[in-house]
Amino acid sequence: MTEKTIELQVYRYQPENGETDTGFQSFEVPYHEHWVVLDALNWVKDEVDGTLSFRWSCRMGVCGSCGMMVDGDAKLTCNAFLKDYYPGPIRVEPLSYFPVERDLIIDFNGFMSRLKSIKPWIIRDEEKPLEEGEYLQSPAQLAFFKQYTMCINCMLCYSACPVVGTEENFLGPAAIALAQRYNLDSRDQGGEQREDLLGDDEGGWGCTFVGECSRVCPKDVDPAGAIQRAKVSSMLNWYKRLIMPRGER
Amino acid sequence: MSALFLPVMILLTGFLLPFIGGAGSHASYERVHGLVSFWLVKLVLFAVIAFSLFHCAHRIRHILMDVGLREAAGVLSVICYGAALVGAGIAASFLIGL
Amino acid sequence: MNLRYKTPLRPSWFMDKPGFRLFMLREATSLFMAGYLIFLLVWLRRLGQGPEAYATFLESLRHPVPILLHLVALAASLYHSITWFNLTPKIMPMYLGEDRLPDKLAAVAMGFGPWIVLSGIILWGVLR
Repeated sequence: MTEKTIELQVYRYQPENGETDTGFQSFEVPYHEHWVVLDALNWVKDEVDGTLSFRWSCRMGVCGSCGMMVDGDAKLTCNAFLKDYYPGPIRVEPLSYFPVERDLIIDFNGFMSRLKSIKPWIIRDEEKPLEEGEYLQSPAQLAFFKQYTMCINCMLCYSACPVVGTEENFLGPAAIALAQRYNLDSRDQGGEQREDLLGDDEGGWGCTFVGECSRVCPKDVDPAGAIQRAKVSSMLNWYKRLIMPRGER
Repeated sequence: MSALFLPVMILLTGFLLPFIGGAGSHASYERVHGLVSFWLVKLVLFAVIAFSLFHCAHRIRHILMDVGLREAAGVLSVICYGAALVGAGIAASFLIGL
Repeated sequence: MNLRYKTPLRPSWFMDKPGFRLFMLREATSLFMAGYLIFLLVWLRRLGQGPEAYATFLESLRHPVPILLHLVALAASLYHSITWFNLTPKIMPMYLGEDRLPDKLAAVAMGFGPWIVLSGIILWGVLR
């Protein structure tokens, strides 16, 4: 009995060969009920073309390495089951709106610098000395921001966001959600320091609440919600500063 | 504002009032005019119209920016919010003149 | 290292994906609502111009084209209201003490509930 197969159309780009754009290459891979697109890609690399390059690690949806566009939708390839795409063909491309280094590998330096720019650490006006012990936080206080700690930096949200696609300098969903993770943390006092970036047109206000970022997020971080809440606090902050320019924090 | 009030108002002006609003009925001219002339109703109507106009202006401006007119953000502000302001002014004058 | 640079989105980007199309549909409702608001201004004017003007105006509304336009406006405003109230809990989550209310419940409490009640009151007030 002939084995079932499914066609993968994979984007290729190998700059060392002096090519500018190779386009799509077709592979007929074995079809198994329990396989994901990552399995298919690894099969191609093992059996057909060892030069195919792509990132992956945990293969179980927690590391955020294997993000790619599958049939035009941003997905973790370890989370994209072949049976959902059968009979195919399945189009596999590098994550949208990022420069491509090679095949399915993207350059995410822009993403990393955005994450760093919003100061993703606890900021205190004054550090507590060690002798005074740890910062106490109730379960409810943790629950207040916990959702936004779940981000695995997979960048799917950036590939889903049309503003990322049209605006060079938009901060983007993950960065703003991360900023909110700290702003809503009871131990943090750095809201004002992040406000310059968040309250800017290239920060929270660039977002038009399309909502695609939250739809593709594999960890239900809901960056769209985080950004809208950031807009609300930014607005309230603005009024507060209007009324009390030199007032309390 | 617009989400809360507009649907029911469309129902009224588009469907209910024209068809059951003849003289002597529930929604005769006297009744409708009397109702709308009440100062509180005038105020609420003005608020609904003004806020809805600004909300629509804001969204339309963003739509235009999204489809490529991003550079014209400043000009669009003047056109869209300006139009909303004019509309609100007209609403006020009509309401006062009732 | 040669990088193939990302191609910027075309102005018709919103047609590319179902999620984007729904977004643009939601935003485009504001166009129809703006159109209705202009109509409402005319309605107000006619009301202020006396019974004859108002009656003639009402008569002109009892025709297919105005009814169709109202239907379109109604569909747009309904889609707007429904999407708006569903999104509100994401923008301003409701907290009961320390617990965040589930979004569906908050949407009813902050949006759908008041909407139905208010619409009912208005209809009753005008038509009783």
